[in-house]
Amino acid sequence: MNKTPTFRKRIGLEIYRKIRHNNVKLHELNTLFWECTLRCNLSCRHCGSDCRVQSDKKDMPVADFMRVIDEITPHVNPNKTMIIFTGGEALLRKDLEICGKELYDRGFPWGLVSNGMALTPQRFQSLLASGLHSITISFDGFEEAHNWLRGNHKSYANALNAIKMLTKVKNIVWDVVTCVNKKNISDLNAFKEFLIETGVKDWRIFTIFPVGRAAESPELQLSNAEFTSVLDFIRETRKENRIHLSYGCEGFLGNYEQEVRDHFYTCHAGINVASVLADGSISACPSIRSNFNQGNIYTDNFWQVWNDRFKPFRDRNWAHTGACADCEMWRYCEGNGMHLHDDEGKLMVCHYQRIN
Amino acid sequence: MKVNWKKNLFKGLCLTSVAFVFQACYGTPQDFGQDVLIEGRVVSKNSNLPAKGIKITIEDGPQYVYTDNEGNFGFYTMQRDNLKLTFEDIDSTENRQFIKKDTLLRITDEKVMVNIMLDEKE
Repeated sequence: MNKTPTFRKRIGLEIYRKIRHNNVKLHELNTLFWECTLRCNLSCRHCGSDCRVQSDKKDMPVADFMRVIDEITPHVNPNKTMIIFTGGEALLRKDLEICGKELYDRGFPWGLVSNGMALTPQRFQSLLASGLHSITISFDGFEEAHNWLRGNHKSYANALNAIKMLTKVKNIVWDVVTCVNKKNISDLNAFKEFLIETGVKDWRIFTIFPVGRAAESPELQLSNAEFTSVLDFIRETRKENRIHLSYGCEGFLGNYEQEVRDHFYTCHAGINVASVLADGSISACPSIRSNFNQGNIYTDNFWQVWNDRFKPFRDRNWAHTGACADCEMWRYCEGNGMHLHDDEGKLMVCHYQRIN
Repeated sequence: MKVNWKKNLFKGLCLTSVAFVFQACYGTPQDFGQDVLIEGRVVSKNSNLPAKGIKITIEDGPQYVYTDNEGNFGFYTMQRDNLKLTFEDIDSTENRQFIKKDTLLRITDEKVMVNIMLDEKE
């Protein structure tokens, strides 16, 4: 497929550009991540966070996070503001249920991102009873490929058990996320069939960007041809309509826009999405580098930070340099995902350029 | 030619209609559906003492909770008009034995309180 957007797609992109600019002006917070722990029960090859099996950093007390929630509550519609626990591995915290109930008492729906290792039937029931609304399980291919990436010989079996549990419940939404790399790319079609057979309805595919441990492992990075083939695979799978498959949020994809996702590309970081990180830092998505942090809950009022700061997220002209300076797709892309910029603000990956 | 322009514009607008729907791309799928909170207490009909360790199961799903030492329980579940709960003593004779009981709740609010008395087995 030619990567340059067609005339029809450009009309859509132009209209969406106006919507995006209006959205930036409004910057309504509708997703708040809480990096509730840096502890993790796995040691994944591609991990971009600062997590460790034994983190020397203590988990933030629930009360400190709830103070942030109380700061934002008068200014948002709680029913339309999703709180997402992430880590590390969020399930290593034993008090998620306490936090979940507190959130739900204030009207906030909440969910979590997990590797599934610690999602026992008992824990799942306890989370459901505390109002769990949404969950994402990482599942990176068949046993060998998954365990290789996750660095634990039990991780595949546990993730699969977690997914099987989820197939039996009706009152939450959930999906499976797969990081495609050189070890699992050739199995994508067979893996798709396996997921359908298992009862998975929603599936997201990510490619791995070279940050953290991922930067040190060449097996994790796809060639441009492989990357394009993944987009083609997603596009074809969506046409089949047997499983709802999407490419992750990152990256403007030219003519693949609307073909591999339900919506046009946009980076919602700092526009609709914020994070409270493990040390109290206020950021947008948890995967964005720390030089883009906007404040800290222990020294700043979260809502003031959300309203008065976040300028680099809402005015992206600073990114209109280097490879982006002369790119004709700038008006639609505005410098790709915020998490793809390094400490100096330089863009590390351009998805549009990667498409063959 | 006029027809083609109209067709293209229509297609373009259709294409963007879904763009109004925000979807979190990193993180979890978004779900803003509202739940109902069911809270209550289970006691013995014979002695009025709290019944601990009673398993409370929701009829149409795999969800369940247990009562605590004071016989209290609470859980969130999907909104619906009626909810059938089953109260079951599953820890044999450890804390006396109770007869299984089903209750049908009519859900009219976001929060429902339910107090249950279980008959003890002879």
